Amino acid sequence: MPVYDGKELRIIGFLCNWCSYAGADTAGVGRFQQPTDLRIIKVPCSGRIDPLFILKAFQGGADGVLVSGCHPRDCHYAEGNYYARRRLELLKRFLPVTGIDPDRFEYTWVSASEAPRWQHVVQTFTDRIHKLGPSPLLAAPLTDAEMAKLQSQVEAGSGCGCHK
Amino acid sequence: MTGLEELKTKILGALPELDVVIGWEQGYDALNATPLFIRKPEDVERLIIGPLCAHNLATYLPGLKDKKVGIVVKGCDSRAVIELLQEKLINKDNITIFGLKCDGVVNLNKIRKKIGDLGQIRKVVFDSGIITITAGETDHQLKFSEVRMDKCDTCKYPNALLFDHFIGTPDDRQNGIEPEHISDAEFEKMSLEDRFAFWKQEMSRCVRCYACRNACPMCVCRDHCVAVTRDPHWISQENDTADNWMFQMIHVMHLTGRCVECGECERACPMDIPLMLLRRQMNKGVRDVFEYEAGIDPQGKPPLLTFKVEEDNIPEREW
Amino acid sequence: MRIGVFVCHCGSNIAGTVDCEKVAAAAKDFPDVVYSDDTMYACSEPGQQGIIEAVKEHKLTGVVVASCSPRMHEPTFRRAVERAGLNKYMFEMANIREHVSWVGKDKELNTNKAIDLVMIAAEKLRRDKPLISKKFDINKRVLIIGGGVAGIQAALDCADGGLEVVLVEKTTSIGGKMAKLDKTFPTVDCSSCVLGPKMVDVAQNPNITLHTYSEIEEVGGYVGNFEIKVKKKATFVDWEKCTGCGLCMEKCPSKKSFDYFNEGIGTTTAINIPFPQAIPKKAKIDADFCRKFTKGKCGVCAKICPTKAIDFEMKDEIITENVGAIITATGYDLFDFKKYAEYGAGKYPDVITSMQYERLMSASGPTTGHIKRPSDGKEPKNIVFIQCVGSRDKSVNRPYCSGFCCMYTAKQAILTKDHIPDSQSYVFYMDIRSPGKSYDEFVRRGIEEYGTEYIRGRVAMVYPVGDKLIVRGADTLAGSQVEVEADLVVLAVGAESAVGAPQLAETLRISYDTYGFYMESHPKLKPVETNTAGVYLAGACQGPKDIPASVGQGSAAAAKVLALFSKDQLESDPQTALVNAARCIGCYKCVETCPFGAIKEIEDRFGNAKAEVIETICQGCGLCSVTCPQSAIQLQHFTDNQILSEVKALCPSMMEKS
Repeated sequence: MPVYDGKELRIIGFLCNWCSYAGADTAGVGRFQQPTDLRIIKVPCSGRIDPLFILKAFQGGADGVLVSGCHPRDCHYAEGNYYARRRLELLKRFLPVTGIDPDRFEYTWVSASEAPRWQHVVQTFTDRIHKLGPSPLLAAPLTDAEMAKLQSQVEAGSGCGCHK
Repeated sequence: MTGLEELKTKILGALPELDVVIGWEQGYDALNATPLFIRKPEDVERLIIGPLCAHNLATYLPGLKDKKVGIVVKGCDSRAVIELLQEKLINKDNITIFGLKCDGVVNLNKIRKKIGDLGQIRKVVFDSGIITITAGETDHQLKFSEVRMDKCDTCKYPNALLFDHFIGTPDDRQNGIEPEHISDAEFEKMSLEDRFAFWKQEMSRCVRCYACRNACPMCVCRDHCVAVTRDPHWISQENDTADNWMFQMIHVMHLTGRCVECGECERACPMDIPLMLLRRQMNKGVRDVFEYEAGIDPQGKPPLLTFKVEEDNIPEREW
Repeated sequence: MRIGVFVCHCGSNIAGTVDCEKVAAAAKDFPDVVYSDDTMYACSEPGQQGIIEAVKEHKLTGVVVASCSPRMHEPTFRRAVERAGLNKYMFEMANIREHVSWVGKDKELNTNKAIDLVMIAAEKLRRDKPLISKKFDINKRVLIIGGGVAGIQAALDCADGGLEVVLVEKTTSIGGKMAKLDKTFPTVDCSSCVLGPKMVDVAQNPNITLHTYSEIEEVGGYVGNFEIKVKKKATFVDWEKCTGCGLCMEKCPSKKSFDYFNEGIGTTTAINIPFPQAIPKKAKIDADFCRKFTKGKCGVCAKICPTKAIDFEMKDEIITENVGAIITATGYDLFDFKKYAEYGAGKYPDVITSMQYERLMSASGPTTGHIKRPSDGKEPKNIVFIQCVGSRDKSVNRPYCSGFCCMYTAKQAILTKDHIPDSQSYVFYMDIRSPGKSYDEFVRRGIEEYGTEYIRGRVAMVYPVGDKLIVRGADTLAGSQVEVEADLVVLAVGAESAVGAPQLAETLRISYDTYGFYMESHPKLKPVETNTAGVYLAGACQGPKDIPASVGQGSAAAAKVLALFSKDQLESDPQTALVNAARCIGCYKCVETCPFGAIKEIEDRFGNAKAEVIETICQGCGLCSVTCPQSAIQLQHFTDNQILSEVKALCPSMMEKS
């Protein structure tokens, strides 16, 4: 399904099964109302989340990606979120190099009991993504300006290093 | 790089114990060096060292894991060896390292940009910071500092960091070192939109030849690289901008905390895509967060293979 | 693949804000979906039957149920799918209740979101593979940590059930907090008379191995096969030889040692048996007070001991116990009352804790059951009890109710009247919480028959005037300030998690809350299970509890272990990591990062280094899958391709290509 035109943006969430997914459940049970944009993908542990999944989502045109796991020290698997924290922090610092606004990606810790916190996270992140608007697209065809630039480069002989 | 005769002697001395020693020899002309695999004593005669020996020979080591291998390394190359040792991808017992002191290596693309394609090069002479290239009857003189590889501008490690034999005397050069790469300053001034457009344009040029991957000493997966497998199926084989971008992201993410900035990817790229820019920027993050540089300490641990309960430089999440 | 999609209305829980028919209709167009329908209650008997029939009728090979959270009903539907003849892992759930209908009001947006969630479930299912559980043998021994009443009960029940029990207690005697109590509410029966025989049973039961003055050092392995390292701390007395005669206590010159059992009311000897009914009744030297250790000379006990049991050179010893299950019954500790400076706690000797008061009343206590106040040994006439000291107080980070203080305070007031008929007890309280059987009647009796005066309000301060203490507080019912002249002030201290509880939890790999109490697997339906298979909870380590509740949990945990051990073999969760040996380059990054030591280094038949997962140890976190650069190790049921397919499903620009 495409995102709901004009009302929603594409936000993908990766949640660990034991804390944050359960926290999102608890928020549901408590009827903590949230924006509808977020689509949650369940993984066993934040340590299962390859930063490349997040880049893959951006490649596909996701407007925001949210990762949430157990608080440090509370990992169901004892150490998974410690590794995740290192990977995700580096990703967050690297995103601006690619030109993707680092605000489009957030990682956070929400426990199974923190329903209000989950609501807050979803609300805040969704608001932030709506403020940023749709992501720039890699998949979209080159604009006329880009095409002209590429053409001029090829003509100037700098387009390709091996064939001159 | 000095001490060719000393090096030859040491290699000859070690050769009986080794299956192969990897060094450099002259390539198809005087300007091009190429890797040399020494198996017999007479092969040693073809050995060269000097500013043309840009190849990071450590790239061959994982593939020769079970052989007794000798390898000639520059400072930057030795970091790749150390990183491979750290990750247990090679076994130190099987490796004999001939360490050099390096004064920088040339970037052939830069030479080509300056003097064009000259065809067969007869002679190349380096003297007092000037490189003289003879093609036909014509001499071309270039300043070495203008045609050396970018990484040499800011080289902190001219001497091999790990070796069994050191050739010559180590250089205590520590001056003229810029903490950050000069050419990154301009990039860092760019807006996010411009950066995105920049990479989109660069990635649209990528031909997915995987030369960058094949040249990389850290890309040890080789035939099992996830960029080309169906299980897992990370990217399609279609050569389009988005998938090219994703391939380069896979490469850079898999190098997180491992890249020793040897520059082989960029050197190998037929499209001159500034791949090192991505790696330097990633390494900057690694330095900032973990105060860590890859390939320095054989006993060190790559930062993504470990953790601290309380991280020094990762702030608590606010929400 | 032939996928069937079942969209549950959950009455109006889902259908109220999601157009379930529309979701079911949309699902018909998804790849491999051959059947799609909506149903009123998918989890009900007819709902499950509908799924089973549809599987048979439409030859389905996989099932998606869009309903509540998989954390709720995934096991239910997996069983249904299994009954229909499919592998139970050929099943996925889309959570359209907790994550959709209950959190959004806009029916259009909700419906659209629900369709997305069904789509990613179907995409994941398309890449599911049947998984088969492995069976492995169980070591039918159980470790019980903590020898309080909960641990004792669990140990006795397990032993009666024919299991070998290893009971580890960190002090020198079992008995826990209950052994210190004088009487118990609401029956006012003698605590040690009830507990004592149980303690003796533990000592005499041939199935129970008791390690006291011991702590858990390391826990390895997994359900069915844990390997436990137990540290037996040095007592400096060879318990094989010690007969518990007590001669050493008589002769020990260091008589000012801190008396832990009596909560510091009175003193004891450096070598001591904590209380006469101790099990095992063995002496231990307190090295902090023993002259041999502090001054380097003495050794009177060694000379006097008839069995030559004293050994000043004794060292801590680590022993290994192999068990199949663990019951944690580590209990609680009491709130440090000194944090209430306004009550003069720790400053005035006649402001004491309820547990100290318990020891003052106990016939086996330092005053042999005569209530004497600590400052001058006089019998107090006016006694003020202050409740909620370290309970329901955010300012000391103890917002929870400790549950049992109201009752023990009522009991102590009643007992005070029994001990000193001309005394008067006052109780400052916030609310009286007495919800147990015969509990409220007990409190009423205290008020009506024993004249305990209850004052609803908090105490502002306690200060001394002469040899009295003035307790000043509010009477919120009368709307006035009150001052009571007291001879003795007893603070009803609340329960907090036992010292070292978080560290033990880390060792056991079980979760704990912000206060250090252990987390049960489900607050209602799995109160004694933890999220770590084979580890169970009993008693106050899970949260403050009174004796009947602790005993009940001890029995419950024992029943869980007995049920677990009723089979000879256990099935492991097959959602484990799996190495594709062809792709593995033997770098062992996975081995390095696996938190469970579940991956071993092997050589294939060509002598190539490869990694191999030990299925029974692997917990299925998937950390290794991310660590492996060539993705040679994949977490089954959460493979890269499955997660990628979910991402791609949500990013339409990538759908066609993959």
